Amino acid sequence: MARFYLENGKVAAFIGHLQQQKTVYAPHRKGRNAFAFAPVDRPQDVVLDYPRTVSSIKRYFLPPREELLSFNLVENTCEQPVVAPLDAVFLGVHSYDVHAVLKLDHNFVSGNPERNYLTRRQGALIVGVGFTPDRFHFSGSVGVPAGDTTGCDLFLHPCEGGYALEALTPDGEGLVAGFPLPAHTAGLPAAAPFHQHIYVPQAKLKDVLAHGYDSEVWEEEAEKCTSCGTCNLVCPTCYCFDVEDAVDITVTRGSRERRWDGCLLRSFTEVAGGEVFREEPAARQRHRVFRKFKYISDETGEPWCVGCGRCTASCTAGISIVSIVNRLVNDHDAVKA
Amino acid sequence: MANKPRVGIFDFTGCEGCELNQLNFEDQLLDILEHVEIVEWREAMDGRAESLDIAFVEGALSTPDCIKRIHEIRRKSKVLVALGACAVQGGINALKNIRPIEQVREEVYGQDKYLFPTLPALPLSAVVKVDVNIRGCPMTQLEFLKVFTALVMGKAPVEPGNAVCTECKLKDNECVYEKGMICLGPVTRAGCDAQCPTFGQYCTGCRGLVPEPNVEAMEEILVAHGLSMDDARKKLQMFNANQLEGVS
Repeated sequence: MARFYLENGKVAAFIGHLQQQKTVYAPHRKGRNAFAFAPVDRPQDVVLDYPRTVSSIKRYFLPPREELLSFNLVENTCEQPVVAPLDAVFLGVHSYDVHAVLKLDHNFVSGNPERNYLTRRQGALIVGVGFTPDRFHFSGSVGVPAGDTTGCDLFLHPCEGGYALEALTPDGEGLVAGFPLPAHTAGLPAAAPFHQHIYVPQAKLKDVLAHGYDSEVWEEEAEKCTSCGTCNLVCPTCYCFDVEDAVDITVTRGSRERRWDGCLLRSFTEVAGGEVFREEPAARQRHRVFRKFKYISDETGEPWCVGCGRCTASCTAGISIVSIVNRLVNDHDAVKA
Repeated sequence: MANKPRVGIFDFTGCEGCELNQLNFEDQLLDILEHVEIVEWREAMDGRAESLDIAFVEGALSTPDCIKRIHEIRRKSKVLVALGACAVQGGINALKNIRPIEQVREEVYGQDKYLFPTLPALPLSAVVKVDVNIRGCPMTQLEFLKVFTALVMGKAPVEPGNAVCTECKLKDNECVYEKGMICLGPVTRAGCDAQCPTFGQYCTGCRGLVPEPNVEAMEEILVAHGLSMDDARKKLQMFNANQLEGVS
């Protein structure tokens, strides 16, 4: 499909053009040094060159807190809130976060389809953007180069003085229509290198992780870990949740809330009667990593980690998923070589 | 409701801020009074009650008289709720516990110290059985209402066990550490909706440590972010002096 040249000076006007068609969500500065997706108010506040956002666009399809139903104890009735397709444009999404959404699609279509997620997901258009890998990104090692356009309707390849805007779907072409742009005829700049790597493919990681089940690395990393759960909660492919019923002060009305949860949290493994089925922090650390490279991966043949680096960049204790996996690879090779 | 639960509100060593917070329920106070009858509350009314369904108790235990009174309250109450950091953990009062008690008495009362018997500041749970904790300094209205509603319905309230970090992440907050500050969120119990980090402060740990906290890991994190080990310990002690010494 077509490729256009969008010079830097026209980016804000282009965002304005998108805003005329749909609600636009894009990265903004948040706090002192962070970035987060937010609905666009003023196009000039959008930041397209950013390292990573605190969380991914997952939060728009699977909200951190969500009312599943409201009930009335006196009338013995309940109601489900109306969930509508988002019908929005997600602008400036990095390729790994698009891959993460595609993985969540797989998780939520399989088995019992997740109605709320799948409904919101309908009509969401994605405009990807290339990025320069920092010291935490390693998506190149899990099959997601920085310029990967999979799942996008449009993609902004950074190039001299602006972007090469690539239309990838009819929906993407529709978003550009009516905004005159010259064709981009030059080639695309070479992708910037990654600084973090997992050096073996998923086919081998399957054996590496099986071999590393009783590794000492889990206990060693657990000693540094406070089990705060941040690694789960910033992960774009984590989708575990907790559900709690709450009654308001009238003692007649209430609601059932679903909110994000994570397997590294002790309370996540606490069940009725106070039993904790994954008591040791080391076992929880292992489970987290196995969820990314073993359990779902053995079924799909793909890593369920997209290499965004959020878990490592956000860990105040400096625990690195890449270091853990590479350590397991080395231990495996030392024995099996 | 024919028989409303009879409620008493009591205070020990503390600033009475949590109690005062209950009087601040301007929008819900009438709803609360729909469900219960308040029969004893020194801060707001006269009189004593013989028996109670629910006792809300604020403050730490720090004198021999406190010990006597908390036993009396426990004896006459079906459910005892510890209200706020002082009652749940001993609160900042427990900072005195890390120094010799004679030295503390002398600094405060000078030559009259023998007139004022004192004990290490203890959480209620160190002396009597506590059924429910409402944490924080001060306690949050949100959590009070949740616990109150559960008790009125005869249900066991759910006590949050996750770290404050979980609430920051749900709100998409920039990590306090990312700003170049330190924070006790990784080992502090959630339930406050991460109010302090959300409004530009750091978590001081007022809600107490999470169950089975990895204190050594937290100290390492604080040291890695620029504190001395001594300062790291002091940060953790501010609200958790008792818990760090195994008193709970």
